[in-house]
Amino acid sequence: MKPGHSADIWLALFFLGFALILIFVWIPLDTGTGLVEKVRRKFVIGDALAPTVAAVAIALGAALGLLRPANGRALTRANVIWCACLLGLFTVSLVLMRYAGPLAAAWTESGYRPLRASLPWKYIGFLLGGTVMIGGLTGLTTRRLSLKDFAIGFAATLLIALAYDLPFDDLILPPNGDL
Amino acid sequence: MGIWDHVIAGVLAVFQSDPVLGVPLTILMVLGGFLLGITVGATPGLAGPMAMAISLPILISIFGFSNDALLPVLGFLIGIMKGATVGGAVPAILFNTPGTPDAYMTTLDGYPLAQKGEARKALRVAHFASASGDTFSDIVLVVCAPFLAIMVESYLDLPEKTALLILSLAFIASVIGGSVGKGIISMGLGLLAAMVATGEDFYPRLTMGQPSLSEGIPIAAAILGVLILGEVFKALEDIYLDDRSAKAQTGVNVQESKVEFLELRKLFPYIGRSAVIGTCIGALPGIGSTLAATLGYTTAKRRYAIKKSASDPEFGEGAPEGIAATEAANSSVSGANLIPVLSLGIPGNAAAVFLILAMDSIGGFNPGPSVFRLDGGIGDGALNPEMVMAFGLFTTMFVANGFNWTIGGIFMRVVGVMARIPKARLLPIVLLLTLTAIYVQETSMVAVWITIFCGFLGYIMRRVGMSPLPFVIAFILGGNLEATARQAFAATGADPFFLFNSPIALVFILLAIGVVIYSLRSTAR
Repeated sequence: MKPGHSADIWLALFFLGFALILIFVWIPLDTGTGLVEKVRRKFVIGDALAPTVAAVAIALGAALGLLRPANGRALTRANVIWCACLLGLFTVSLVLMRYAGPLAAAWTESGYRPLRASLPWKYIGFLLGGTVMIGGLTGLTTRRLSLKDFAIGFAATLLIALAYDLPFDDLILPPNGDL
Repeated sequence: MGIWDHVIAGVLAVFQSDPVLGVPLTILMVLGGFLLGITVGATPGLAGPMAMAISLPILISIFGFSNDALLPVLGFLIGIMKGATVGGAVPAILFNTPGTPDAYMTTLDGYPLAQKGEARKALRVAHFASASGDTFSDIVLVVCAPFLAIMVESYLDLPEKTALLILSLAFIASVIGGSVGKGIISMGLGLLAAMVATGEDFYPRLTMGQPSLSEGIPIAAAILGVLILGEVFKALEDIYLDDRSAKAQTGVNVQESKVEFLELRKLFPYIGRSAVIGTCIGALPGIGSTLAATLGYTTAKRRYAIKKSASDPEFGEGAPEGIAATEAANSSVSGANLIPVLSLGIPGNAAAVFLILAMDSIGGFNPGPSVFRLDGGIGDGALNPEMVMAFGLFTTMFVANGFNWTIGGIFMRVVGVMARIPKARLLPIVLLLTLTAIYVQETSMVAVWITIFCGFLGYIMRRVGMSPLPFVIAFILGGNLEATARQAFAATGADPFFLFNSPIALVFILLAIGVVIYSLRSTAR
């Protein structure tokens, strides 16, 4: 086995397993009709057929990967750590985006919902979450957090908010459509 | 109504659109898109599809979902598509950094020429070749797409159309990327994603009982996630791992140096060959402009080795022929890649994916063979509105070419400054813009999370050497494939062998198997 082939073989085995689970577990349990159904004395294609074809395609691709492994690249530990950092940053910034507005409006009588279309309430979550997302991501990428990056993040988020909000009455900034 | 009535109606639809400041709106939109496209193309790390993705929800908000919205919106997107191809050459020449992947070969001769103090000449050659290739490709599109569509509509019935979709998917999965197996896995995942919560039964399939998935995976979330976010995650990690690229680029200045007509005339054979190569490659779904540029460059290199005089520079040392061959090839892909879109409804590359997404979002135009039916109008002798729209679309492409020939070169020289913006600052802003674009379209934080999930999927695919494009194209075509197969099965009286009974369908299926086997053998070599 050439170096680099083992990554492709592991990838192929993973997708072969995934395809088998799809065909024998997920699709039968999670579709309303079978591969082919009899409706009013006529046979029609059921809802399970197309996903099964997709799963067979995945299995076929995996089998070809096993038979002809290329010099594949594997996910490294650094890649996994990078993904975890990104996921953490997105979680923090989207949670801020989602809850900052309602939290700020918690002391008001009406709460956030009636205020969500008025200034400054409608921008609080988006600005805070967006600033953390841009500033944090720039800091993560360049390996140093700086106030300048967060200031750029704030300015960019404000510009995006104004670009969507000022000219269009019908557009709703995150997270106000969910609240 | 004959074909010429449709052509004239299409042209008038563009030139008689509502005027803004005395200029027809659609023309203004093409201009806006074209200038934005050059700017985006000239910015390393950004690409035409990114700008198309971010612009689409804003454009839909402005123009709404009416038929009148189609031409201005599509005109803007086509302007971006064409502008980005031209703009990609700017940082390649001035900074040795390709603005778009297909401009990589331009760096080989463009940057050495710029270092010799002839940056302006290099930019002019790139612009001339790019505009020539683009125009040639558009002419081929206008001539070929309607005939291909009419042939498909005349000769292909439901089983044949199903087989043609299978052939297209097999072709795309096999030829994109370096591994046939990974291409097919990517395609299978795209088909699987397209099946979530669709189907004919009341129960939303493959949702695992999650209410958030009961309306399916939003098409914009899947496409933007895999194509845009995946690329942003990867590009940011590349900067993280190699901190040098985060810094602003330094480059050469654009000095005055004229290009005589005789010098341009010497380039004609190179431009012509590359335009034909790029157009042929562009017409095949799934094969991108990067391959066209590489083939155009290597073909030109062989000819140049025979024809060049002793005093001419070698390829790779600042030969204008190298720039011309690359730019003509990658630009001639942009028109031809709409041939499968308009005649078959099959997107061939990321830019075409966003055009189809726009058509799908706005409605009123279903790209495919039925577009060019003369009897597609309501009532006898009425115009087919979809064919009028198609010719309107062709008109916007020629308008964009007109802008390219007249102001494209001047604007290219202005936007060189864009390459100085550090990617580490720019890409997080693009990311937030993309997520905001998804939210304003779907109005749900679940859609934002689905986009991020698809972004990670796109990132992992890129890291393990699996192209995300088969995923996206299969996701778009999945619903159509299932619907056509259902109809074909029903129409043939539930014949399980409906794909093998008709000779044409059988040929398509055999070709699909053949293309997989051929690709396997060529990758093994």
